[in-house]
Amino acid sequence: MAHFETEYQRLEASYSDSPPGEENLLMHVPEGSKSQWHHIENLDLFFQRVYNLHQKNGFTCMLLGEIFELVQLLFVVGFTVFLANCVDYDVLFANKFVNHTDSSKVTLPDAILPMDVCNTHIRDNVFVIFVLIISGVFWLHRLVKFLYNVCCYWEIRSFYINALKMSMSELPYATWQEVQARIIEIQKEHQICIHKKELTELDIYHRILRFKNYMVAMVNKSLLPVRFRLPVLGDSVFYTRGLKYNFELIFFWGPGSLFENEWSLKQEYKRGGNRLELADRLASRILWIGIANLLLCPVILVWQILYAFFSYTEIIKREPGSLGARCWSLYGRCYLRHFNELDHELMSRLSKGYKAASKYMNCFLSPLLTVVAKNVAFFAGSLLAVLIALTIYDEDVLAVEHVLSSITLLGVCITICRSFIPDKHMVFCPEQLLRVILAHIHYMPDHWQGNAHRYETRDQFSQLFQYKAVFILEELLSPVVTPIILIFCLRRKSLEIIDFFRNFTVEVIGVGDTCSFAQMDIRQHGHPAWMSEGKTEASIYQQAEDGKTELSLMHFAITNPHWQPPRETTHFISQLKERVHREAAGASSETHPLSLSESEPRSLVANILAGPSTLGSVHFACDSSLANNAVTGMPGGATALRSLSPISSSLHLRGSLSAAHRASGFTCRAMTGSGTDARTVSSGSSAWEGQLTSLVLSEYASTEMSIHALYMHELHKQQSRGDLSRHTWHRQESDESSDSIPDEVRSEPNTRSRNFPRSQTFPATLPSPGASSASATGGTNVGQDGEKAQSSSQRRHSGPAADHFGTAGKVVRTARVAMGGWAEDGKASSRHHEPVQEETSEDELPPHIHKVT
Amino acid sequence: MNCRSEVLEVTVEARQVEEAMLALLHTILLHRSTGKFHYKKEGTYSIGTVGTQDIDCDFIDFTFVRVSSEELDRVIRKAVSEFKDALSSDGMGQISLEFYQKKKSRWPFSDECIPWEVWSIKVIVVNLANEQERQICREKVGEKLGEKVINVVEVINRHEYLPKMPTQSEVDNVFDTSLKDVQPYLYKITYQITDSLGTSVSTTMRRLIKDTLAL
Repeated sequence: MAHFETEYQRLEASYSDSPPGEENLLMHVPEGSKSQWHHIENLDLFFQRVYNLHQKNGFTCMLLGEIFELVQLLFVVGFTVFLANCVDYDVLFANKFVNHTDSSKVTLPDAILPMDVCNTHIRDNVFVIFVLIISGVFWLHRLVKFLYNVCCYWEIRSFYINALKMSMSELPYATWQEVQARIIEIQKEHQICIHKKELTELDIYHRILRFKNYMVAMVNKSLLPVRFRLPVLGDSVFYTRGLKYNFELIFFWGPGSLFENEWSLKQEYKRGGNRLELADRLASRILWIGIANLLLCPVILVWQILYAFFSYTEIIKREPGSLGARCWSLYGRCYLRHFNELDHELMSRLSKGYKAASKYMNCFLSPLLTVVAKNVAFFAGSLLAVLIALTIYDEDVLAVEHVLSSITLLGVCITICRSFIPDKHMVFCPEQLLRVILAHIHYMPDHWQGNAHRYETRDQFSQLFQYKAVFILEELLSPVVTPIILIFCLRRKSLEIIDFFRNFTVEVIGVGDTCSFAQMDIRQHGHPAWMSEGKTEASIYQQAEDGKTELSLMHFAITNPHWQPPRETTHFISQLKERVHREAAGASSETHPLSLSESEPRSLVANILAGPSTLGSVHFACDSSLANNAVTGMPGGATALRSLSPISSSLHLRGSLSAAHRASGFTCRAMTGSGTDARTVSSGSSAWEGQLTSLVLSEYASTEMSIHALYMHELHKQQSRGDLSRHTWHRQESDESSDSIPDEVRSEPNTRSRNFPRSQTFPATLPSPGASSASATGGTNVGQDGEKAQSSSQRRHSGPAADHFGTAGKVVRTARVAMGGWAEDGKASSRHHEPVQEETSEDELPPHIHKVT
Repeated sequence: MNCRSEVLEVTVEARQVEEAMLALLHTILLHRSTGKFHYKKEGTYSIGTVGTQDIDCDFIDFTFVRVSSEELDRVIRKAVSEFKDALSSDGMGQISLEFYQKKKSRWPFSDECIPWEVWSIKVIVVNLANEQERQICREKVGEKLGEKVINVVEVINRHEYLPKMPTQSEVDNVFDTSLKDVQPYLYKITYQITDSLGTSVSTTMRRLIKDTLAL
């Protein structure tokens, strides 16, 4: 019994209930901290490491990989210096005669200069020393980083083994979803995060992808200066790793960045009060970082060249065709990424789209080049044939000077030419290919559909899907271009950036500050043209472009079936799923297409799947984009994905699903039911979510997501027909748009008078053209006068379900802008209004250059 | 981030600062202290008792309860008086009480101190013109402090994360065992005068190094 020092005295009782002895004291048993995994300080970093370790297939693989990388770096530098300084090329090229006592043969050691000569060579050459110092510093940095990483990841390894009960050997074969489920499970036991009893999938994603979500949102809202209109090259995109690194440095973690630490934005950036001052500060920081980039430019340039040289020459030698191969550009990855999509999910999606995408690009071989290439290939081929034939006849031909090199060169030449000659058996069907691509990449600007065969579309697609050679070239140019972009383009955007971070940062308990777009809240960021009409309260400034919120939400819900979204969101998801399933069922059950359009409004899935070979197509016939659907309907496609586009798609899917069910030994109630019973089918998805193992599920999830993405695009297309399309693709720079304001102001009343007062149902008194009136017109527009017949017929076909989406017109948007997201910043400087004008002017004006009509 | 934070805000006169701070800090510590642990064989322990004491304030109409430990009181008083001295009259400041636990790290790294709960008390000092206002202030501040105390108790009553009771070898990682008569959770008192913008240079540097090392 310890020390009584209180004023409250103990009562002297006659009995003693606890005699002064220790045997009757209340004894406690300490729980101790059985594991060290409770209450982790930096959960962001922790989850990122857990994810990284999973992606790198366990500790050993990662360790080996990093060690080899270090060795490789040493080798690159050492070998370059050696080649430059220690080789006597005169000996190699036999320009200099070597005296040998025993034999006349020249050996490799003869060509190598002795050590001391070598050393003086190196010492005399300032440039070499410069390169050596840079690479030495770089290498040491990598080494320290490596050692640090080993310590950190050792801990993560023991987390996997002790807490998650997964050994390193089984890690490569576990899906991330499994790992994640276990993390959620152990949170209950260990309390890794102390704010909540339970973690959700979204929490983990938020933490891992906090900054990536911001980047995706900024690209989505066209905030980052990555598109440029150049005098000769036209519209182009420049976004390299160097530039990305600088952006991240400025926004997220560099000295004086906007973020205080990994999880919270600095307080002053959350308040609107001194935004101008903050913007000035950001601008000057960007300037300094730009200047630093400029100063370091030679260093970075040398490094890039060295690195590129050694990683790519070997590939070029081995297969010259590989440079022609394309890859998804860095910008494309940002543009196509969903909110809350992990790297591996994105990569698998893009890889699936790769084949179709390169096929699509190959459709556009220039006929002129083809003719030239054919002939060049002919001549080169004949020369090569002769040389080879001669060589076969007598090997001595090879000893003749330059014969071996000309054989190699001719071979390269032929390979390059061949890549310009189209495959004889290839059929040109871009629209169909683009649809297959869309099924995987999930995003594309509105005006691509129906214009797939245009060269403009191809050019724009090539911004997402570029030549690898271009990619390498851009990377090499990046050290020079990056400072220019930073100083001249990004600096001007500083106020918009400050506003962006203030407006789109929310603090989530247990997660910290995240990008509000990443919450995937339809109400806050939904886009009325993307199925969230009526549900969204977002102003234009707040809406995510290209239906990103909606598609991301679907993607996340499908990949993480156990995630429990907020109630409204659940409603949205289930509604959409049900519609897709019902219409898929409807389309497949009614095999006779005529009955479809006669009796009931066309279902959208039927549209996707079957193509309008019906009455509807008469109306649509003039509309080239839908006519292409008929092409889609034809069995063709020739890809692994054809099951998505042709008629039999839904049958295929469900067939394969039920096969999977049987294979995994589950009785398959939902799937064996006939397609006519819509309810069972729609409940099907939840049924298999519960039953199938996560691996099986994740394989089908991507297919399901593809169908949903196609469906949403189709719906969107039908809704926005007649609207001037609004897309991010050719958003102007805010500065340029400032002179288009008068236009926009003038055009506003015009559009209103054109759209509304003519309607019979809305005679003279027009209520405020808000969402309600717009949705009301949707249903009654059918009887409108001739000029609008086109669009009204389309509406009729889109059916009652889609009716109220019908006229999410411009008017709604202009009305919203007035009270829009910027309203809170009342004190309007002239700079400050630009974003609004930018948004509106684009809505009203037709897209400028590339809009194909 | 993985840490709760609570913010209390008080407006007081210059001479009340010390007592107000003591009242709040002691109230929090009262609930975050236990008696000394006496470990027995078989990994069990018993908890010693803790006395409490009523303290009347001189400049505020308020009485608070604190753990009756002179040592603890001395430590707190020292921190508070430093804070008071640094705080100019008619200024703003913030004193924070941070509870943390230590995590042993492997050799090259020093032990990590991971906070799990931070109480920040924001203080606004006002100057009063005459005696009557002071009198009113005296009562007002007393009432306010009463509210704060209830606030604190409400927060503490919630079932939220607390470090688990340690075994004998780990007791230093969770509790401050340096005091003879009482054993609070490991805590740290820091203060800050005016809400200066930005973090200090040292933390920035540390973060920079950490960031460059991170994968």
